[in-house]
Amino acid sequence: MDQLGHLMEGFAVAFTPQNLLFLVIGAVLGTAVGVLPGLGSAMAVALLLPVTFSLDPTGAFIMFASIYFGGLFGDSTSGILLNTPGNSSAIATTFEGHRMAKDGRAAKALGTSAIGAFIGGTIACILVVFFAPAIVQLATIFGPAEYFALAVFAFVAISAVVADSIVRGLVSLGLGFALALVGIDGMTGTERFTAGSPVLFDGISIIVITVGLLALGEVLHVGSYIRRSGGPGAVVAPKGSPMLNAREWRQALPAFLRGTAFGVPFGAIPVGGSEVPTFLAYGTEKRLAKRRNDPDFGTRGAIQGVAGPEAAGNATAGSAMGALLGLGIPTSATAAMMIAAFQQYGMQPGPLLFERSGDLVWPLLASLFLGLIILLIINLPFAAVWAKLLLIPRHYLYAGISVVAMLGIYAIASRTVDLWMALGIGVVGLIMRRFALPLAPVLIAAILGPLAETQLRRALAVSEGDPTILVSSPITVVLYLLLAVVVGVSVLQHTRHTVKRRKTDKADALVR
Amino acid sequence: MTTNDSHPMTTGTIRVQRMPRWFTGRSELFVVAGVLILATWMLIGTVTMEVPDGAAFPGPQFFPTLVCVFLYAVGIALAIEVLRTPQRQHVGDDPVEISDEMLRDLGSIDATSEIRVVSPEDYAATPTDAAGSAASGSDHKTVLITIAGFAGFIVVLPFVGWLISAAALFWVIAWAFGSKRPLMDIAIAVIISSVVQLAFGAGLGLSLPAGFLGGIL
Repeated sequence: MDQLGHLMEGFAVAFTPQNLLFLVIGAVLGTAVGVLPGLGSAMAVALLLPVTFSLDPTGAFIMFASIYFGGLFGDSTSGILLNTPGNSSAIATTFEGHRMAKDGRAAKALGTSAIGAFIGGTIACILVVFFAPAIVQLATIFGPAEYFALAVFAFVAISAVVADSIVRGLVSLGLGFALALVGIDGMTGTERFTAGSPVLFDGISIIVITVGLLALGEVLHVGSYIRRSGGPGAVVAPKGSPMLNAREWRQALPAFLRGTAFGVPFGAIPVGGSEVPTFLAYGTEKRLAKRRNDPDFGTRGAIQGVAGPEAAGNATAGSAMGALLGLGIPTSATAAMMIAAFQQYGMQPGPLLFERSGDLVWPLLASLFLGLIILLIINLPFAAVWAKLLLIPRHYLYAGISVVAMLGIYAIASRTVDLWMALGIGVVGLIMRRFALPLAPVLIAAILGPLAETQLRRALAVSEGDPTILVSSPITVVLYLLLAVVVGVSVLQHTRHTVKRRKTDKADALVR
Repeated sequence: MTTNDSHPMTTGTIRVQRMPRWFTGRSELFVVAGVLILATWMLIGTVTMEVPDGAAFPGPQFFPTLVCVFLYAVGIALAIEVLRTPQRQHVGDDPVEISDEMLRDLGSIDATSEIRVVSPEDYAATPTDAAGSAASGSDHKTVLITIAGFAGFIVVLPFVGWLISAAALFWVIAWAFGSKRPLMDIAIAVIISSVVQLAFGAGLGLSLPAGFLGGIL
């Protein structure tokens, strides 16, 4: 149990006043961006990344990690009270959560969601600490070909499997590769796609790409409809105690554990974050409610319908941190932002990280536990206070985001050309949102693309150009086979729905 | 929510609207054009790349070539998809990261028992649906004002400094997004930009341009 010793040392570092301060700042910011609809933790990390250059990396990562978890604590608040989920990770919670709120049990729903987030996150973090040495062991058997296979898996899974349309996901992926290729090639010193301009020799900063896409693109997109919107609906005021009584605990606890069981494995594979496991958890609770003839589920709102998805959501964040630190694979947009943050500090997450930067990794893991406790404290009793954030006028919110985004981009190198590039990418982000092109593949391709290229070229250089090296080891074969199965299932699923839609279209046409 | 009951149940992630006119449904062909132009630009860049002598086989042109081929392939595939199913005009508020249909399958969602989760876009879509689909498109005016606001900010930033230009940017965007109190917004804008200057300039040591105020203060 070597890792327990490391973890204790990590707690010693995490308990310093400075790191505790970053932890609390991250928890508050994360909950805030989670509560506010339309802001996500990926955008929050993107905005904060450039302005935290001067911080010590441990403190910065502790802050980013607690933003990640905090976002998943806060996102259910507006879903439950307003029927408008703060993020897509809270949609599954909203179905039953808003029913409970309308039934006068809003505080109970908020309490269940905070406890669920805490339980899911904590169990996932314990598993990560437990399996960390096993993940590090992988370092010894992973060569360039294996890393390339892992990167390909991440690219295809995020763009082809989970996106609304496989083609659109792949278009986004290609765009991300193109952005990442600009600049001087690290292996040969060749200028690539710089148009001879020294401005582009270092490539397009990942901060320009992410802030442009996530923040400016979002501001422009909101601008395209905000004046036509009728403003937010009525907020249900949470009343009563958020704490669960013994009977409710008996109902909720199995749902918490089932949700966690869905969330943990899905955090470790790149399928876009917590949407898939939260919906799986919701679907399971729905079927179980039908089996035991629960009259509340789907009418008054059942506590299990909140407990399962919430635990699943935060469990993905825990195992996503494990996959991020141990394998260097981002499994969601926020995790991709964390990888970008590591790269900004000159570190590459992956099995070697535990050896090279153990003094950062273990305090980070320890601070996840502390962060979950702090988040539970600031969310469970004070959910009603957080709900007040929903009263901030949205035009001030987006004006503020614009100012902070400009600040962050200017902070990279104090030059306005970065601002112009970010504005251009923001317009691209607007167009992508309009035409249902997913954003996560762009981020993942831009962040992992250079790594994938390096590993591919290394592998081919070792084999002197023989491409069979890419499938020469059992790990690579298993990864590619798994990918083929996943893509096959996804294609079948898309085809089934297309056929169904065609049929209903025909039926509609006949009726008319 | 009674007015919304006629809508199909959605999860809030995706809005797919059926557009009546041929062109509206196929305006995504612009995206196809963009992808193909990008691919062509990369092709030219790859062919004309000045590779140093002695670079071994998987050289600097290798990966760009793969990306080029990939971009042409997905561009053509997107063109085919747009021509075959033109109704997929997206007007949602959320980035579309996850397949709506897959989520429905996973959550065993059906159109009757789930309450309809709304998103800010729905407040926009509800009144305009009655008036026809023409008004449910994009608000180009606000978008253009916002882009112009950003562009203006970037132009004046080196000359007038952070305090004034950031305050102006805040004010323009608040106004463009529908704020009804322009005078009070001036005060809020100045406070925000000063707080940012203090917190990040003085506190975290970022160098923000002082502009002409730097000579006076």
